[in-house]
Amino acid sequence: MSNAIETRGLEYRLGKSFEIRDLALNVPEGSIYGFLGPNGAGKTTTIQLLLAMRRAKAGSITVLGKPVPQEITAVLARTGYVPERPHVDPGLKIEEATQFHGAFYPSWDAAVADSLLIQFDLDRTRRIKRLSKGETGKFLMVLALAQRPDLLVLDEPTDGLDPVVRRESSHLVHEVERTCDWIGVMDKGRLVAEMTTDSFKSGIKRLRVAGAPATIADPPFVLLSRQPGDGISEGELWVVRGWQAPMRDYFESAGARLTEVMDLDLEDGFVELLRTARSR
Amino acid sequence: MFKVILQSHWSWSKLLLGPGTVAAFALPILAVQEAGSLSDPQLSAWGTAGLLHEMEQWGTWYAALAAALGLAVATGAWGSDHRGGHVYALSLPLERWRYVLLRYGSGVVLLAAPIVFFWLGALLAAAAIELPNGLHAYPTALATRFGLAALVAFSVFFAISAGTARTAGYILVAVGGLLAAKLLLSAAGAAFDPLAFVIDRLTSWPGPLQVFTGRWMLIDV
Repeated sequence: MSNAIETRGLEYRLGKSFEIRDLALNVPEGSIYGFLGPNGAGKTTTIQLLLAMRRAKAGSITVLGKPVPQEITAVLARTGYVPERPHVDPGLKIEEATQFHGAFYPSWDAAVADSLLIQFDLDRTRRIKRLSKGETGKFLMVLALAQRPDLLVLDEPTDGLDPVVRRESSHLVHEVERTCDWIGVMDKGRLVAEMTTDSFKSGIKRLRVAGAPATIADPPFVLLSRQPGDGISEGELWVVRGWQAPMRDYFESAGARLTEVMDLDLEDGFVELLRTARSR
Repeated sequence: MFKVILQSHWSWSKLLLGPGTVAAFALPILAVQEAGSLSDPQLSAWGTAGLLHEMEQWGTWYAALAAALGLAVATGAWGSDHRGGHVYALSLPLERWRYVLLRYGSGVVLLAAPIVFFWLGALLAAAAIELPNGLHAYPTALATRFGLAALVAFSVFFAISAGTARTAGYILVAVGGLLAAKLLLSAAGAAFDPLAFVIDRLTSWPGPLQVFTGRWMLIDV
């Protein structure tokens, strides 16, 4: 499978306090890729580098098989982009902004735009500055989708959604868990992990371990964290990555006893992953 | 593509461009009216010098209007992009230079309206006045000059407005530096005035602002 987005050795510096270092990103074709990370991790900056809104200091970027920034015009013609903050002229009416946007895209589908405006219950005569955050987000999605893009880039897609929709999505990480088949986790300008959502979820577990020695030798999994017990049950709580059921046998050989294996959701796994990355 | 850019530019400029166009049409007529009633049979008896002085005074208003129109249209050219932090323009599948050219072109088209109306106003004013012997009306020459000045003003403000806040900062620093140098040199008793020197370079041939200076005469010898 080839990659829709690929970066190699990407370097970028913003002032003295932030930099992206040696970023190697692989977004497979046909995938829904969730890009996770705390505030200030560099997600938006990376997206802007991919779309040539910023110039990298070093490294290479390929989007839809074309080098960026050299062939950015061809890339943007096939890319729908919804930025973190609304970027369309707020003084325009929905109808005007839709016509304006459509004039620039050869693949623009006015019928799709019409249908989505109806589906999202957006009044064409309203000015964009009069829309709520959620409505603005929906409208930007209409613009991006009516381009019939080969690549859809959404920066903070659930930000500003109205309460009903927000409750449904409840948390960005959960949103990613539900919709994405690949995830990349970024922290402080580095890509901490990149894997399929399934392997991420299935490989991260919380274990309850009794009688474990202070130091353990050569575990077949990655021990992300080790904490004293919660007082409810006997034993320590470990968070491990790369867990598989046959690894239970390891504990007996290490003089410990595994009493419980608990599933972690993506959010817990994400937090543990960041904690581990930062402790390195 | 150009059509939607023009529409967007119009929506940002219309509040200033509308009254500006009316003013462009009215100014030459007002100038002649100020000089005397258009139907005044005594007009031919005016002293030539008085009439020319009156016309020259109105010239300042023509230049000021041309500059104001250029500023208004230039500001409107980038208004929507500034509001969105230029992200929208950067996300369009269009080379940056083409986008700038489209924005510039739409400004030129929008400026055509006040320039044409200025010319019509000048033609009307020239036709309505009875000139003393030896004087002539130059409505087309004046309108050409007005159009050129509006385009120069638009181009200058367009370039400044296209820049970032940092660009504006550089310009302010340059102006501040010139002022500071003028004050320092003046305090030191030096005869050289850097601010006057720069202004002179800009406003005398071949300086880009030369078109704003000199005599803007609807009626001249």
